[in-house]
Amino acid sequence: MSLKNCHNFSDFRKLAKRKLPSPIFHYIDGAADDEVTYARNTSAFDDVDLVPNVLRGVENVDLSTTIFGKKLDLPFYLAPTALQRLFHYDGERAVGKAAQKFNTMFGVSALATVSVEEISSMIDTPKMFQFYFHKDRGLNTSCLERAKAAKFDVMALTVDTITGGNRERDLRTGFTSPPKLTLASLFSFATKPMWGINYLTKGKFELPHIQDHLEAGTSTNTSIGNYFSTMLDQSMNWKDAEKLCAQWGGHFALKGVMSVEDAKRAVDIGCTGIMVSNHGGRQLDGSRSPFDQLAEIVDAVGDKLDVICEGGIHRGTHMLKALSLGAKACSGGRLYLYALAAAGQAGVERALGQYKAELERDMKLMGCTKISELSRKNLRFRG
Amino acid sequence: MSLKNCYNFEDFRKLAKKNLPAPIFHYIDGGSDDEVTLKRNTESFSKYDLVPNILASVGEPDLSTTVLGTKIDMPLFLSPTAMQRLYHHDGDKASARAAEKYGTFYSMSTMATSSIEQIANVSGGPKMFQLYIHKDQALTDNLIDRCKSSGFKSLCLTVDTVVAGNRERDHRWGFTTPPKLTLKSLMSFITHPKWTFNYLTHEKFELANVSHFTKKGSSIAKGVMEYINEQYDPAMSWKDAEYCVKRWKGPFALKGVMSVEDAKRAIDIGASAIMLSNHGGRQLDGSRSPFDQLKTIVDAVGGKIEIIVDGGIRRGTHVLKALSLGATACSFGKGFLFALSAGGQKGVETILQRMKEELRRDMILLGKKKIEDLGEENIAIRN
Ligand SMILES: Cc1cc2nc3c(=O)[nH]c(=O)nc-3n(C[C@H](O)[C@H](O)[C@H](O)COP(=O)(O)O)c2cc1C
Ligand SMILES: Cc1cc2nc3c(=O)[nH]c(=O)nc-3n(C[C@H](O)[C@H](O)[C@H](O)COP(=O)(O)O)c2cc1C
Repeated sequence: MSLKNCHNFSDFRKLAKRKLPSPIFHYIDGAADDEVTYARNTSAFDDVDLVPNVLRGVENVDLSTTIFGKKLDLPFYLAPTALQRLFHYDGERAVGKAAQKFNTMFGVSALATVSVEEISSMIDTPKMFQFYFHKDRGLNTSCLERAKAAKFDVMALTVDTITGGNRERDLRTGFTSPPKLTLASLFSFATKPMWGINYLTKGKFELPHIQDHLEAGTSTNTSIGNYFSTMLDQSMNWKDAEKLCAQWGGHFALKGVMSVEDAKRAVDIGCTGIMVSNHGGRQLDGSRSPFDQLAEIVDAVGDKLDVICEGGIHRGTHMLKALSLGAKACSGGRLYLYALAAAGQAGVERALGQYKAELERDMKLMGCTKISELSRKNLRFRG
Repeated sequence: MSLKNCYNFEDFRKLAKKNLPAPIFHYIDGGSDDEVTLKRNTESFSKYDLVPNILASVGEPDLSTTVLGTKIDMPLFLSPTAMQRLYHHDGDKASARAAEKYGTFYSMSTMATSSIEQIANVSGGPKMFQLYIHKDQALTDNLIDRCKSSGFKSLCLTVDTVVAGNRERDHRWGFTTPPKLTLKSLMSFITHPKWTFNYLTHEKFELANVSHFTKKGSSIAKGVMEYINEQYDPAMSWKDAEYCVKRWKGPFALKGVMSVEDAKRAIDIGASAIMLSNHGGRQLDGSRSPFDQLKTIVDAVGGKIEIIVDGGIRRGTHVLKALSLGATACSFGKGFLFALSAGGQKGVETILQRMKEELRRDMILLGKKKIEDLGEENIAIRN
C-alpha cells in the first residue's frame, strides 16, 4: 500500500497504521471510554438523506465560504490538533503548507510542536490559535500575546477539555509524549524503524507554547492526560471566557459548545463563532454527536455567529449535509491526521485534494453551484 | 453452481462473480464512496410491510400494466445499462431478446455496445432508449432521430450523471474500457479464461452508438468515468430536456429525478414519466433511496405523471411494495446484469421467469387480481 493507492479516509488510516508505532496510532485513532460517541459522530450522517435537484446547469462550482471574516476556498478547515510532529517529523510545517496551498484555515493547537512565530513566517493564509485555559495566568497571557503578535486571525478557546478524557487505548499502549518506552510499546517502536529514525534525527521534540511555563519538577515528559488534569484550570467559567475574548480583541470562538443555552451565552460574551464539537469523541463518551445537535444550534444562533460542525467527517457528502443544515463550515482532525502520518505534506495535500474533488462532484450531483444554495430543502430525515 | 440452481438475486450474483474477471464484476456490483446509498436502496423496502387481503378469489392474476405508452406483460423491466458486451459476449442482444420473450421493455444505454439499428433488427419487443446529453449537440440529435426511425417506443433522459460518481472499487481494480491490464487485474483475467476467450473472439468491443462521433468511442483507452466527464454536458438544463421532449415527440421520461420540485417541473416540460432513481447508488452517495422518497413524490404528482422506481429491487415483493405506494412500474439493473453475466440470454430469461413467478405468487397471496388493484391499503409503514 502506498500513497497513490489512498482514495479515501479509511485508506489513509490503514497506511497511517502501518507507518506509526502503535501507541501513536492509537492516540490519534482512539477516543474516550467505549468510543460510542466516536462511532456516532460519523454514523449520524447516515440518518439523513440528500435529495438532489437536476438540470440546473452545473459546469462551475464555487466551494468558497466566509467564516470569521475570512474567505476560504473550501467549506472546511483543519481543526487544531496536538503534537503533530509525533505523527510525522514535519508536523505542523507540513499541515500548514498544505492548508495554504488550498487556501483554507489552519488550526494550531496550544500543544503544537512548532511555534506560532515560525508558522506565521511560513504561511500567510488564515490561521486559528487554539487556546487552553491554564492555571498559570502568565502562561495564558504569553500564549495570547504571542498568537496576537504572530497575526493569527482567530482565537478558539477549547471548553470541552477541562480534564483529560478517559482514553483507554492510551492506558493500554502506555502513550505519553514524548513516548515512554514500555515493553509493549518498545516492540512497536522497534518494528517501525523509519518512524524512530525520523523522530530522533529531524529536530528536537518541543512544545514551544507551554514548555517555558512547566511547573518545577515536571518535564515535557508528562502524559497528555496528566497535562490536562494538572495544568488546566478547572474553575474556568463564563467570566474568564468573556475576559479572554475582550483581551484578544479579534474573532473569538468557543470550541466544544453543545447546548443551545451555551451557544446563546457565547453570543452574549461576544464570540463570533462556535465549534459544535465533542472533541472527536475523545472527552465525554455518550455525548451527542455534533451533526445530531446541529439543527437546534443553528436555529438558535445561526444568524448571530458562525456555527461550525466538527467531528466524524470522512466524506464530501458529510460536509454537504452539515452545510445544508446551516453550518457555515465544517472542520475535522482525523480527516487530515492520518494523511499526515501516511506521507507528511504530500499526504495532507492528497487528502485535501480528494475532499475538494468530492465536494465539487457532489455539489454538481446535488444541482448546486454555490455553498449558499444548499438548504434544508435538500435533506430528508429518515423516519 | 449453474443457472438452474439460481433462484434469486444473490445466486445470480454469486455465479456472475465466478464468471467475471474481478474488475468487471466490481464495476457492476459497486457503488459510490462508502456505498451507503447502494445498501439503503434495498434495505428501504423492509421498512414497509405488505398487508394481504384474504378470500379474494384471485384465480390467475394479470400482471400487465401500461407505462410510457406501451402495455407490458409484467410491471418490471430492464434498466438501461452501459457496455453489456463486457458482461457477456452477446451483450445487449441477449437482454433485448430475453425482454421480448417476456413482453417487457429492454432499455438501451447511450453507452451500449450494440447499435440502435442492430438491436432493432434482433428484437421486435418494446424498446426504450436512454439518452445522455453530450456536449456535441449533433450527437444528441442523431441519437434521437435514429431511435425514431428504428422503432424505439420511448426515450428517457438521464439527469443524475452530470459528472461521474466516485466508484472506488473501480480505482482499486483499474476498471477501464476496454479493460486495462494492471498486475492485479491481469491475474483476474487469467483466472477467468472463458470470459477472456469469449471477449477476444467475438465481435470487437465498441460503443456502437457514439463511435462515429467521438474518435474515442470505438476504443476508449480510458475509463468510462473519464468519458462521462469529457463528453457529457454538465451545463445541461431544463431547456435541454425540453428540447429533447419536443424533438422526440413520443413517450418521454426523466431518469434520476428525486425532489418534488423537479418532479413538478418534469410535468411542465411535457414529460410522460419520471424515473425515481439514484442510479443504483452509483452517483451521489448519501442520497435518498427511491423507495424512501416514493410516497412524498406520489403525494405531490401522483396521477399527473407516471412514476417509475428503480434501485435496489431484488424481489417480486419489492416491486409490489412500490406499486402499492403508487408507482406505475419498476425497473432493475444489477438484477438482470448478474443474470446476463451468469448465462447470457438464457440467464436473463431465467431471472425474468423467477421474478414473474414471484410476482404472480405474491399477487395471489396478497389477494389481488390486477396491478391497478394494489393501493396504499396493502402496505403499512413500520415504526
Ligand atoms: C490526535 C488529536 C489531537 C487533538 N488535539 C487537540 C488539541 O490539542 N486541542 C483541541 O482543542 N482539540 C484537539 N483535538 C480535537 C480536534 O480539534 C477536533 O475537535 C476533532 O479531531 C474532531 O473530530 P474528528 O477527528 O473526527 O474530525 C484533537 C484531536 C485528535 C484526533
Ligand atoms: C453496470 C451498470 C451500468 C449502468 N449504466 C447506465 C447507463 O448507461 N445509463 C443509465 O441511465 N443508467 C445506467 N445504470 C443505472 C441503471 O439504469 C439503474 O438506474 C440502476 O441499475 C438501478 O439500480 P439496481 O442496479 O439496484 O437495480 C447502470 C447501472 C449499472 C449497474
